[in-house]
Amino acid sequence: MTTTIDAPSHTQARWKPRDVWCAIAGAVSLVLVVWAASTVAVPVNSDLGLVGVLPYPFWAGLLILNVAFVVALRGDAAGPARRPVMLWLVVVLVLVLFGTAAFVTDVPRGEVAFRHLGIADALSRTEGVDPDIDAYFNWPGFFALLATVLKATGLDPVTVALWAPVLNMGLWLAALSVLTGYLTRDARRRWLVLWIFCLGNWQDQDYLSPQAFGFFLYLVVIALVLGPLAARTPKFLGFGRADLMEWWRGRSPAEHRPGHRVTALAVTLLLITVICASHQLTPFLVLITVTALTLSGRVWPSRLPLITAVVLALWLVYPASAYLAGNPPLAEGGLLAAIDANVVDRVSGTAGHVLVVQVRVLLTLVLWALATAGAVRDWRRGRLDIRVVLLAVTPLLLFPVQLYGGEMLIRVSLFALPFIALQACSVLLPADVRTRPSSRAAGGLVLTCLLLAGMTVTGRFGNAQYDVFTDNEIAAVAAVKRLAPPGSMIISASTPTPWRSEAYLEHRYRTMDYMCESDLSTATCGPLVYEDARENPAGAIVLLTRSSEASLVLRGVSSEGSFDELEAWLSGQDGVELVFSNVDARVYQVTP
Amino acid sequence: MNAGISRPTAVLGLAAVALSLVTLLGLPTPLQAVAAIAVLILLPGQALARLTPVTDFALRALLVLALGLAALTAVSTAMFYLAVWSWQACVVTMGVITILACIARARQEAVS
Repeated sequence: MTTTIDAPSHTQARWKPRDVWCAIAGAVSLVLVVWAASTVAVPVNSDLGLVGVLPYPFWAGLLILNVAFVVALRGDAAGPARRPVMLWLVVVLVLVLFGTAAFVTDVPRGEVAFRHLGIADALSRTEGVDPDIDAYFNWPGFFALLATVLKATGLDPVTVALWAPVLNMGLWLAALSVLTGYLTRDARRRWLVLWIFCLGNWQDQDYLSPQAFGFFLYLVVIALVLGPLAARTPKFLGFGRADLMEWWRGRSPAEHRPGHRVTALAVTLLLITVICASHQLTPFLVLITVTALTLSGRVWPSRLPLITAVVLALWLVYPASAYLAGNPPLAEGGLLAAIDANVVDRVSGTAGHVLVVQVRVLLTLVLWALATAGAVRDWRRGRLDIRVVLLAVTPLLLFPVQLYGGEMLIRVSLFALPFIALQACSVLLPADVRTRPSSRAAGGLVLTCLLLAGMTVTGRFGNAQYDVFTDNEIAAVAAVKRLAPPGSMIISASTPTPWRSEAYLEHRYRTMDYMCESDLSTATCGPLVYEDARENPAGAIVLLTRSSEASLVLRGVSSEGSFDELEAWLSGQDGVELVFSNVDARVYQVTP
Repeated sequence: MNAGISRPTAVLGLAAVALSLVTLLGLPTPLQAVAAIAVLILLPGQALARLTPVTDFALRALLVLALGLAALTAVSTAMFYLAVWSWQACVVTMGVITILACIARARQEAVS
């Protein structure tokens, strides 16, 4: 096994007509995509999401971009195209894949970004942390950062949330490009990793969120661990006790300047502390990956896992103790339960929605298959990098430990993705890294990239029928804010609802989906919702939006007819009055 | 100003003072955003990254972002827990961190 995948190729220093054409092709594809996306009408009326309504120039733009990238990557005998050209193409890809929704509408997708804005707003209003409110206030780091940035800059919070995916992807790619520099010196491989990381990124975790921030810091920590804090290992002698001891003692620091190592360790500890303060899950991923790398002998400060565990434990037993007292971390778990929550429960709903979920699973499997083939190929050539394998595999260890609301598979697949992409490059690029990919190999690469791009657009934007909001829905939420008395309960049909971006602490927010435990039949759910609403001393507001109803129908929780029946029953009860309505939403006030 | 202090260190320290003041006084929205991001994230990140002996440009650039964001997160979170948070206090604190890092860097430069 070797520690790096060596290749002498470097980005050239001289502009060539090919470079210019590739850069122009990137610009053309961006224009096509922006234009095509801007013609999409909202609401999106397809259970396949955006993929069902994007016009063909979008796909033409995606085709041109991938062809231009492969041509630029192929380059010539000296290496790929110039660095500014490659960088430009990656920037265009980020805008195309992660900015598409922002070209369609000026409202952020999904509910959670709105909620996160509300938490930052609540923090800045109360100017303190009350851990008894909910889980977010036990890990307030990211929200404290967001509150400070929003107040100091005066930026519009909704605009920040709208462009957060592009910004987060930029941060992730910056960290990933440095990180891969410690794993391979092959310029083609380094650019292709960034490309595949974008093409395989269906997880949609790049919105304004603590996990996106935590993932950036995670990648920086791994870059430091693989760089200034790395260790060189002697030849492995065997698993005997004496052999292991000799092997362990034979390690040496990759960085020979002690000052450099000490400052890198200090930076790493600061980042780990901030990760522990910002997100529930990410510190555990840091802990297991750093532990795995340390046990493989590739990390010089061998007590780093212990220090990480201590920082994590301290955060859990003190600032996060209020949440953990009622939510033991290992209360939900087990492989079968995890499979049910993460896979089985999600493969339900309308035919289009099921297809979207299947495409997401297929995309993950395709990438893992490519990575496995790449790993086998590297192993046969004696070039398998154990660090890449460990970084790809260790996140999976968390999968059966906690259900994490059925999102654990999404999270672990995101944390594995950079290294899956790197390992997949071994099968997508020539075996001899010094040779330029042949025309046939380049053609195969174009087809692979197009396949991944199509699946990612399908997977990422597959919920667009219900997670892309209309201006009418935003107007209805604004009306709710205006009409809801302090202390009143606000009830929506289901997630996603673009609420809670303000007045996070002033109301109780509930969904019928949650209150009725997914049985939305009129006989069961109607009286339950009505009684809860009337029993609240300050009354309630019931907000029914097109998107939340579409979510119920697409996910197979309810049908259009039965939900209309429920609404008709509710609106006919005493003390229930329609106070706002438009094409996409109705607002009912329920007096106590 | 000490003759041993390099120009980048001096510029960084002075920029932190100037931008902290204009951010606190207030500017039109786009300029306020630029000034606030510089004084809250980029300048502290750059000042702290310059304390490390990192020579690799890419790693250095990454550390500017990571250290700037991490330091601001740590400062903001601590202020919330101590119930002393205000964005103005964060601006002042990050300005002070930048200046202290510049002083530490100047001492490094004077020794070397």
